[in-house]
Amino acid sequence: MKSIHELIYIYFFLNWAYAQLIEIKHLDKAQVIITKMISSALKITLPIFFGFLPLGIAFGLLFQELGYPWYYSTLMGIFVYAGAAQFMAIGLISAGIGLIEIAISTFFLNSRHLFYGLSFLKSFGNWNARKLYLIFGLTDETFSLMTTIKVPKNFNTERYYLLITLFSQIYWVLGCSIGALMGDFLTFNTEGMEFAATALFVVLLIEQWLKVRKPLPFIIALFSAFIAFIFFSQHMLLVAIILSIIVILLLRLIRAEEND
Amino acid sequence: MIDSNYLLLVFLVMTIATYISRLTPFIFFASGAETPVLKFIAKKIPPMVLTILVFYMLREVNYFSFEGAKTIIALLATSTLHFYKRNALLSILTGTIIYMSLVQI
Repeated sequence: MKSIHELIYIYFFLNWAYAQLIEIKHLDKAQVIITKMISSALKITLPIFFGFLPLGIAFGLLFQELGYPWYYSTLMGIFVYAGAAQFMAIGLISAGIGLIEIAISTFFLNSRHLFYGLSFLKSFGNWNARKLYLIFGLTDETFSLMTTIKVPKNFNTERYYLLITLFSQIYWVLGCSIGALMGDFLTFNTEGMEFAATALFVVLLIEQWLKVRKPLPFIIALFSAFIAFIFFSQHMLLVAIILSIIVILLLRLIRAEEND
Repeated sequence: MIDSNYLLLVFLVMTIATYISRLTPFIFFASGAETPVLKFIAKKIPPMVLTILVFYMLREVNYFSFEGAKTIIALLATSTLHFYKRNALLSILTGTIIYMSLVQI
């Protein structure tokens, strides 16, 4: 009996799905573009999916050890939405560190983001709720992806960015939830999956190289990263970014004087 | 004793601290008021940040060990495939699968 019921459900579901398909055919132009934008954004954020999901699961697993219900991990993914800072917070929370210290360490850990917005001053559009969310969701991964890709001409840039940002956060929240919820039952061995994040950055770096085709910014950044790694390993990312900006500005200044 | 009020307050201050770090450039530099220097920086930041991020992700690899060889193989696979086919998803998936299988052996 049960299987007959199931068959009936499946039949109705297929009918419904077919009706949806028929409807899609009659969509007007704007809706077709939106559908295309969604599928394109899903495809382009798939590397972020492979980076965020295992990282989120790893976070959820660690978070679970604090002894709080799993949905707090979900909440943290939704509201805080900062990979490295969330990992750092686990240690601070378990030690019961004060709020002010947590706020300051979070700010310093994320301070490289101070420079990310500079590349989107125009393309995030006018001030509205969407812009506020785009800024909220500006992580290493979305920054790297959105500064490297070329938005197709018929797409609205801000909407396309919104989809990329939204999907990326969904992947992260999903990872945080799965890790905290069923970490103990996870049978799939995810060891090494975190390489996806490195691979994403490598691929985007190659794309940047093909776009820029000038070795100077890459060499300056490599030099700055090396210096920062040796002398300021605690705040390596921030120091490296500031140093590379200073060096490239100085070089620009010297060149301008030579041309005068 | 589990104190969820403390946890929620931690979330609150972390949310604010993170948001401030992402919001600041938009507050300081209105979208119309871009000076040539600012435009220059904005253009140079993506290639520099990506170089730094790749360096950062690989900073703790010991390249003269067996573990390091696995990373190098996966990196070579990812970048060679990407130069050859320029399909981001294919490069990332292949590199990750190679790395995972090498690590899990």
